[in-house]
Amino acid sequence: MLAMPSATILLVGLLALPSAVRAVFRDEVGHIDYHYQLLGLPQRETTFFHRPRKDEQGSLLYTLSDEGVLGAVNPGTGGVVWRQFLAGDNNNKTAVGEGFARAGEGEGWVASAYGGEVHAWDAVTGRNTFWARFPGKVKDLEVMEMTEAERKDVLVLFEEEEKGETVLRRLNALHGDVVWEFREVTKDVPLQVSTNVEKVFVVFLKGTKGAYSLKVTTLDTLTGKRLDELVIGTKANLNDEGDIMLVGANSAAPIVAWTDAEHTALRVNVLGLKTSQEFPLVEGTVEVEIHAPHLIQSQPHFLVHSKTATGNKGEVYHIDLKTGHIAKAYDLPLLPGKGAFATSSISANVYFTRITEDELILVSSQSHGVLGRWPLKNTNSKVAPIHAVSEVIKKAGADGSYAVRSAALTADDEWALVRNGEIGWTRPEGLSGGVAATFAEIPESEELAKSLEQEAHSNPVQAYIHRVKRHINDLQYLPAYLNNVPARLISSIAGTDVTSSAGKLSRDSFGFHKLVILATKRGMVYGLDIGNSGAAVWQKRAFQISKGQKWDVKGILVNESSGEVTILGAHNDFVVLKTETGQVISAKAPSSEATTQSTAIIDTASGPRLLRIGLDGKIGDLPIDKAPKQTVVTRGADGELKGVVFIPDGTTAHESTSWIFSLPENQRVVSIATRPSHDAVASIGRVLGDRTVKYKYLNPNTIVVAAIDDKTWTLTVYLLDTVSGQILSSAKYNGVDPAKPVECAMAENWFVCSFFGQYTLRDNSAQSLKGYQIAVSDLYESEETNDRGPLGDASTFSSLDPVDVPTGVALPSVVSQTYIMGAPISALQVSQTRQGITTRHILAYLPENHGIMGIPRMLLEPRRPVGRDATPAEIEEGLFRYHPAIEIDPKSVITHERDVVGIKKIITSPAIVESTSLVFAYGVDIFGTRVTPSFLFDILGKGFNKVSLVSTVLALFVGVTMLGPMVRKKQINLRWSAPM
Amino acid sequence: MRIPTLLSLLGAATALTHNNPPLQTSLTVHIPRSAPLPNPAALLPQTHATLNSLTKHHSAPLSDKSNFHFHNVTPGSYLLDIHCLTHAFLPLRVDISPSSSFSSSSSSDPSEQSPIKIEAWETFRGNDWGNKGEKVSIEVSDGNSGIVVVASMAGQKSYFMERSSFSVLSIFKNPIILLSLVSMGLFFGMPKLIENMDPEMRAEWEEQQKSNPMNALMGAASGQQGGGGMGNFDMAAFLAGSGGGKEDNKGGNNGGGKKKNR
Repeated sequence: MLAMPSATILLVGLLALPSAVRAVFRDEVGHIDYHYQLLGLPQRETTFFHRPRKDEQGSLLYTLSDEGVLGAVNPGTGGVVWRQFLAGDNNNKTAVGEGFARAGEGEGWVASAYGGEVHAWDAVTGRNTFWARFPGKVKDLEVMEMTEAERKDVLVLFEEEEKGETVLRRLNALHGDVVWEFREVTKDVPLQVSTNVEKVFVVFLKGTKGAYSLKVTTLDTLTGKRLDELVIGTKANLNDEGDIMLVGANSAAPIVAWTDAEHTALRVNVLGLKTSQEFPLVEGTVEVEIHAPHLIQSQPHFLVHSKTATGNKGEVYHIDLKTGHIAKAYDLPLLPGKGAFATSSISANVYFTRITEDELILVSSQSHGVLGRWPLKNTNSKVAPIHAVSEVIKKAGADGSYAVRSAALTADDEWALVRNGEIGWTRPEGLSGGVAATFAEIPESEELAKSLEQEAHSNPVQAYIHRVKRHINDLQYLPAYLNNVPARLISSIAGTDVTSSAGKLSRDSFGFHKLVILATKRGMVYGLDIGNSGAAVWQKRAFQISKGQKWDVKGILVNESSGEVTILGAHNDFVVLKTETGQVISAKAPSSEATTQSTAIIDTASGPRLLRIGLDGKIGDLPIDKAPKQTVVTRGADGELKGVVFIPDGTTAHESTSWIFSLPENQRVVSIATRPSHDAVASIGRVLGDRTVKYKYLNPNTIVVAAIDDKTWTLTVYLLDTVSGQILSSAKYNGVDPAKPVECAMAENWFVCSFFGQYTLRDNSAQSLKGYQIAVSDLYESEETNDRGPLGDASTFSSLDPVDVPTGVALPSVVSQTYIMGAPISALQVSQTRQGITTRHILAYLPENHGIMGIPRMLLEPRRPVGRDATPAEIEEGLFRYHPAIEIDPKSVITHERDVVGIKKIITSPAIVESTSLVFAYGVDIFGTRVTPSFLFDILGKGFNKVSLVSTVLALFVGVTMLGPMVRKKQINLRWSAPM
Repeated sequence: MRIPTLLSLLGAATALTHNNPPLQTSLTVHIPRSAPLPNPAALLPQTHATLNSLTKHHSAPLSDKSNFHFHNVTPGSYLLDIHCLTHAFLPLRVDISPSSSFSSSSSSDPSEQSPIKIEAWETFRGNDWGNKGEKVSIEVSDGNSGIVVVASMAGQKSYFMERSSFSVLSIFKNPIILLSLVSMGLFFGMPKLIENMDPEMRAEWEEQQKSNPMNALMGAASGQQGGGGMGNFDMAAFLAGSGGGKEDNKGGNNGGGKKKNR
């Protein structure tokens, strides 16, 4: 048994361990880093204004987004008050837009349902008031406005697909207890739950796909017992769930409406009645939405919003509560362009707000008289609303005017708040849901590039004359430059940033000014200027992605010389854009079928290219100048890995499989890591404390493959040679949880893998371990020091030589060690610097702590002495005693106090200065920073006090000028008095 | 040791699940008021807790009463972590097992008493899982919150490095600066001091100076006199190594000093 140290001593020791970690200084926050706190795109049904405290005036804007983030936004500033990442939990994955959120009028909570979980949150603080998990998938969530008790309850509809059953539960809104449960065992598809004052309605789709009819089951609010069941013939061909619109959940007369596939007519049924009424739609309607109030006391009016390809129109209908008859009240004219409607109610009155591309119109549901009209001001950014929510306030006073604020989602994936016609704020929610990103250099001005090229190709004399001319020509910029000097000097001393002149992109001498090209799952592409706090320079919609689909980007590559970025998608689609402006050069829209397994960046005779790898790893023949020079590793149909080479034959190159690596049975690949494309190695060896050298195994053709066996819970990590397919090394870890993330990363001569492990020790079966672990392996050419292995100093080698030949395949000597992490990690990435002299950091997202950690590579050193203190020679080498635990030291968290949610991937790029690596992380949030793993050794940081330097120099100068005459006077006096 | 007993308990639990509906329990973790966290209500809402074991994962958000409620937890030995942006918590080991009385006599009715026993200890990352720390207090509270485990706080997280700030005082703490200040004080102060002495004392002091072998040094320290002395330095004699020359030189030095002072 190990000694049992006291917890405090242990903790202090652990926190003291990585003392060499470079943390963030408080004054660097916002200077070197930037963060977009995003929610994702608000959904139409789950966005609302709600007053979190009954007796207070202010309301907040709540939304459950397509990313599964539930958040409260301050409508005054657009700042996030709180947010909860419901999709963050591994156990709670669900498809796009399947979440539900509702708030009870006058209640201090917001209820949400996502996946299989139902939550209620305190509307002000964002704390949980109750949560529950049920089997199956949630289909709807509704607030029961009227109960027998002094509270409002929550109704949740669950579909248990494997049993074909539907369960409706009424939950006590205070502590989440189930009040009653209604179970329907027929295999009908549940759609929605609605309530009015005395009944609960559950709407099902009955029948088979293509010939559905509607079934409405009426339940008692007190007991949940079935009262009645109605089947409504749909007449029109009801094809799928998408054609049905269900609204007015809590209104006095909830309705269900549906259209036929051609959108020629709308059929509406007031729930509880057997008949339905039909209304014609505008010709050319492509989409219909219905807006109705959600309150029981509101008048039973609703609005039908029909969108055509070019315009949109609204029609208002009234329901007679006694007879259930629906009558059309008035029309709102067909207006061109995009538009959105929003419903708001003040006690019994219902108001409809219409937002078009250039104005905001408020009407009452009673009559078509316009209550207020506000033209949209400062519309330099055009608002093309998709959907909106509104809050209407009737101003006190005789004139009875209204104030309206609307939060609208625009066609550019932005969320904008319009307050009486003025745009209050916009949130760039489209930046969430990133699927691919890459760094790009800011393209140098074409003229300069051209003239430099010209100089290179002409004879020396002409080139010299050209150069002198160019420099004379450059003199015209001198006055502007000189003008700029005082401002730059002042900002440099004051430590503020020099803002790039007039919004023009330009490189800086440190290499911090770069672009990040980000593609999102919604088909948008953004160009972010990371030199300017990640501000969006341009945004372009590459493709219109239909609802429920996502843009499956497989590869992204920047061609620096031409300043173009290529993005390849899975559905045989591609888009090429200018990195500087976002101008689309060429594009091909996604086809219906997925054709691409993945992509690979390859070196060809015509430069680096993005190679599309088809399904089952098929590539096909390529033209000779586009064929890769390397071996391409693909995944076969059965999950095996294949090495594919291209054999030139005339002008084409034929695909040929050179090796196949089949995994043992039951194993599946969970992670693959390759060395980064920019992986500078400063030294080929490591100098040890005794001045001997261990030479690094630096084979560029290696990949790490982690495969897990779901039955025996073993993880096997293979190191493969990609030229020959040979296993260079493999390691097996027992007791690895296949349900928790396994990730690997590789750089230089080492690789790391992280996983959750629980196993007994091999050398001491009495001891066992449990926790998140990270295994690190170093590769050396030989076990011995000062030995370069069988290859010696040979400048070339072949992976294909047989092993038994003395100069054949040299297997690396592997040194491994495993550490226990204080928290799970994901999205592993290694920091990159220009020359590789700076030590490396392993950057990892902490999905539980909502931060990004930089783990120093020194800490993960596998050669740290185990069970004894380091000798002086080892200390000189930077090794210290092995301690198995690595706590999450807050000082190593590069996101510091920021709450960074849902990071899927981290990318890094070297800057021009060696000390610094640029980091960009995307997923739900966007975060970027600069890391300096070996401290900022080549430029002056913010900590360099220029003021004190200048004042010291000035003080010295003053001192010298004052002392000078004094000393001179004394010396003269001395001379005169000396001979006496 | 503890491991075999634990394993046997686990075995019992799994055996039980075969014929009965799986044993499940609710677990509540409470964050108490403590010195690093005087007001648990100030914790950020995204604070949450996780229970982890092989193939099992539970997550619970922070409730308005600073609790984490876990539902439907099956027997096992779990690692409990609390993830918070502002504060660090100690990892806990939570063992959920069928209570001993229940597992020993399988005939007894499970509804008679709670069939689940919950224990919690502090645990040490990177140490043997059986190496348990202090036992964490468990309360059986009323109502539906079930069994409450009290979380232990490690402290506040500090993310930022302190920048060494510039201050005038820190300059004066430097011994080199102090030394140079003292010598500067001598440089300016000594002549003034001597001039302000009354004539008798001065004469006396000068006598002392003459006899004091250190006066050469003092002369050098008081600046320009030294300079004057150096002006009289007989380099040739010095290099010739004649002792007399050296003495002469010293005398000259003193003389120079005297003249100046008068």
